[in-house]
Amino acid sequence: MHLLSAFELRKRFENGELKAREIAEHFLARIDKHSKNLGSFLHVLDERALKKADELDLRKSKGEKLGLLAGIPIAIKDNMHIKGEITTCGSKFLTNYRAPFDASVCKFLEDQDAILIGKTNLDEFAMGSSNENSAFFPAKNPWNTECVPGGSSGGSAAAVSARLAPLATGSDTGGSIRQPASFCGIVGYKPTYGRVSRYGLVAFGSSLDQIGPFATCVEDIALIMEAIARPCAHDSTSISHPPESFLENLPTDLKGKRIGVPWKFLEEMDAKALEAFKANIEQLKALGAEIVDVDLSILKYSIAIYYILATAEASTNLARFDGIRYGVRSPNAKALEDIYDFSRDEGFGKEVKKRILLGTHVLSSGYKDAYYKKAQKVRTLIIERYNSIFKECDLISMPVSPFAAFKFGAITDPIQMYLQDIFTVSANLAGLPAISVPAGFDHNKMPVGLQFLAPQMKDKTVIDAAHAFEKSAKIPTMPEAFA
Amino acid sequence: MKKELREKWEAVIGLEIHAQLNTKSKMFSSAPNRFGDEPNTNITEVCTGQPGALPVVNKEAVKKAVAFGLAIGAKISDFTTFDRKSYFYPDSPRNFQITQFENPIVGRGTVFADVDGVKKEFIIEHAHLEDDAGMLKHFSNFAGVDYNRAGAPLIEIVSEPCIHSPQEASAYAKAIKAIVQYIGASDCNMEQGQLRFDANISVRPKGDTTLRNKTEIKNMNSFTFLELAAEAEIERQILLYTENHHKPHTDVIKQGTYRWDSETKSIILMRTKESAADYRYFPEPDLTPIVLSKEYIEKVREELPELPADRFDRYVSELELSAYAASILTLDKTLSDYFEEALKYSSCTKTVCNWITVEFAGKLKDTGNTLFSLGIPAKHIGKLVDLIDKKTITGKIAKSVADDMIKDPKRDPEEIVNSNPDYKPVADTSTIEPLVDQVLSNNPTSIEDYKAGKKKAFAFLVGQVMKLTKGKASPAVVNDLINKKLDS
Amino acid sequence: MSEFNQENLNSLKKLARIKIPADEESEILSHMEKIVGYVNLLSEVDTDNVQIATHVSQNLNVLREDNIGELLPKETFLANAPDQIGGMIRTPPVLKEPE
Repeated sequence: MHLLSAFELRKRFENGELKAREIAEHFLARIDKHSKNLGSFLHVLDERALKKADELDLRKSKGEKLGLLAGIPIAIKDNMHIKGEITTCGSKFLTNYRAPFDASVCKFLEDQDAILIGKTNLDEFAMGSSNENSAFFPAKNPWNTECVPGGSSGGSAAAVSARLAPLATGSDTGGSIRQPASFCGIVGYKPTYGRVSRYGLVAFGSSLDQIGPFATCVEDIALIMEAIARPCAHDSTSISHPPESFLENLPTDLKGKRIGVPWKFLEEMDAKALEAFKANIEQLKALGAEIVDVDLSILKYSIAIYYILATAEASTNLARFDGIRYGVRSPNAKALEDIYDFSRDEGFGKEVKKRILLGTHVLSSGYKDAYYKKAQKVRTLIIERYNSIFKECDLISMPVSPFAAFKFGAITDPIQMYLQDIFTVSANLAGLPAISVPAGFDHNKMPVGLQFLAPQMKDKTVIDAAHAFEKSAKIPTMPEAFA
Repeated sequence: MKKELREKWEAVIGLEIHAQLNTKSKMFSSAPNRFGDEPNTNITEVCTGQPGALPVVNKEAVKKAVAFGLAIGAKISDFTTFDRKSYFYPDSPRNFQITQFENPIVGRGTVFADVDGVKKEFIIEHAHLEDDAGMLKHFSNFAGVDYNRAGAPLIEIVSEPCIHSPQEASAYAKAIKAIVQYIGASDCNMEQGQLRFDANISVRPKGDTTLRNKTEIKNMNSFTFLELAAEAEIERQILLYTENHHKPHTDVIKQGTYRWDSETKSIILMRTKESAADYRYFPEPDLTPIVLSKEYIEKVREELPELPADRFDRYVSELELSAYAASILTLDKTLSDYFEEALKYSSCTKTVCNWITVEFAGKLKDTGNTLFSLGIPAKHIGKLVDLIDKKTITGKIAKSVADDMIKDPKRDPEEIVNSNPDYKPVADTSTIEPLVDQVLSNNPTSIEDYKAGKKKAFAFLVGQVMKLTKGKASPAVVNDLINKKLDS
Repeated sequence: MSEFNQENLNSLKKLARIKIPADEESEILSHMEKIVGYVNLLSEVDTDNVQIATHVSQNLNVLREDNIGELLPKETFLANAPDQIGGMIRTPPVLKEPE
């Protein structure tokens, strides 16, 4: 059953072949069997899932019309709220925090009759690219459990890759959906900024964060997007766009599409990785696309910009974690000052502390112009560069990551860790829709993804291109150990 | 302080006034904007800083800010944005306030205020929207935080440093309060802290045009405290400069922030410039810019009610009140609305004004009550004056009736007069006539004066009769009788 | 753009209200030196006539009606509180004034 796509699963539930209860039990059993090893789930919502499943079976038996995602178990990254359930954000600070309201995404999913099955592991407060920064335990890559699944949405990627759930949500601030998708050999999508409501997503970089789906195929991405790409009155940055069908007319070719590739910028990539990428581009040509050489040399500054802006925003977004109103208050604190200083020391992991300090630094008096304001200006240059390219191209294609999943502890140099995001952060800086779709394997047989980007609001264009590529490339997405 | 010393120096004061807007819901949260309820009952996830919550701007708060801007003749920003202002404190739900630093909604404007009889112009540098913090309640060995007020909408009105005395500061603040009240933007209830002042104060030798170091006194919520604190600080600075005249003045007064302690009537240092807060302002990414159309602004302008300055002009020119009386009334909208309500029942504008601002005010001065706190309807004041005007009662009787009204605020003056025989003027000619005769025969000079054209003499004679009747005679009847007798 | 040093770190710990245990200090200082050194890269970009990109969303004028929405019940709010008394969040006595 777990080899079925979400789309297929829903069909079989709809036509009576499968009961929702069966589906829920099946996936709960898989989670029970594998999650501990994979470290993919922080909380399993078995009671809730079975209750929903039973309710769906009952409503179906009454002949009621059910939602777009009826019967589909979905894993939720543990930085999005399900009312009444614990949201930890992968942090010790929030081990006892019960969400007082539903994230709009979770509400939309449940409105469409999805079965929310568990909260997945992540780098603490979504800060990281390997899921090694979770305060609880790391998540592992199902293709090789000695390797990281990527981050920050490592748990969700691992869960979908190992077929512990057909769909999962992640959040992407600088690549946190696309990179784990690439590392785990599945599809990961970051919508246009504002396309999916951030209400109920614990904020990291407010002008960069987007919630998006993980799936084993592009059609499933299209399916879940129909449920979650909706306007939300609680989020001022939410786009109010008339509903768009992502599922309709998914193409199998790229005829007439002009795809920009930043060849010069890719020159310094690892030779083997570049070869593999070139082969992917040949496939795009074979599908009818016209490949255009584009200049994205400005992306060399994108990591610097990202780490200034994202940490600046994060330093204020995380200021609310002070041990006063919620979260773990330090038992060692006596005076008020101690509550702040100790709770934040004891509650936050090192990476989070570093980013808060950096973010505070770039905003502080005497440094703000040189760092924060400067970064905002160079961000404009990146946005303008993309705008200019998209006048000539429908899409841009580039790698997701310079390399495939690495072994735990392999990257210790912080700059090296950050530089992995070089191909992904600019989509967040410019608010563009971007997808990672399985494109092959490296010499260690670890998955590698291919990235497509398009202008803001052209989510369908990205999904279409990914679909066409996927159908032609036919990359296996099932790690043997979990079949 | 010796007058001669004080006069050698000029005070330079800038005021920041925070007015809590009276919208139904809060600035960025849809929780009720209400005072006095049980702690933490008027909250949402937004105003308690829950992770994952997001702000959304209250349209009505924007409208009130625009109305204020138009009332002070300011330019309304055509591109206004919000910023995060970071600082840690338990009453702050997010440890950053959402305010407007770069692009405030209201630009430069002016307000006029009467300072000791002289009309002065004051410049407002800008006004902006922001949200309020919660309330910290201090107990002996702990503190309690109530977030009911957290997120309440505030308009902060920042003056230029164009105020030069505590009296000017108070007059300016009262004028601002009046405007905010008149446009219906805030109830300005000062006990509830809906209007708060921060003053930036420095001094300089008279004639000097440079600005010296200033100190800030925060969070005052009364005009009296504002004047007292300002005067205290001005004197403190002058003394320090005088004592340290050999030092460079930049070393004498350090920039610092104080709060006014109303018990000890002194200022208490909160922090000095060295440890000044670094608020790390940056644009609020969760909120969109607001671009207001000319049509929208014009619509708000059309809906503006009568402003204090216009009402003042109307009182002086149409109702013929003195500038002083008009000023007292118009500075407090509730009071002038009350006055206008009373005018529905009597056309004697000056007398009604007098009864409200002098007679009743005088009687209530030391009781801690006001006409409003007692609940005496404006209609009753109007009717009281009408009774005097129709000569149903004398002015003297009216004072007693007023006392009765204060004792039992719901009683109608007509009913009071009717139910007390001592109040009803004696209209019985047979009782009054002998007294009239008595007065006339005792005052031959007055009769001559009157016949010579001196009208005052007539009034004197009437007064004498009233005196004999202990004010109880009907003035109309007395007038009549005297007239008859003198003309005969 | 400048180098990062211990003095910077000391002032940031106060601003950001985070205590750093002695055994983490040198690692964090070294990390900060590296990352600040790295982001100094931006100084080579010419941004003389470039606008600041404050918003990526195209939205303008997102406002809500002045209506009361769904409240957060007091019990739910306090259920997550580390310490409460009389319906309020309890903290040690607050001596220092806000900044």
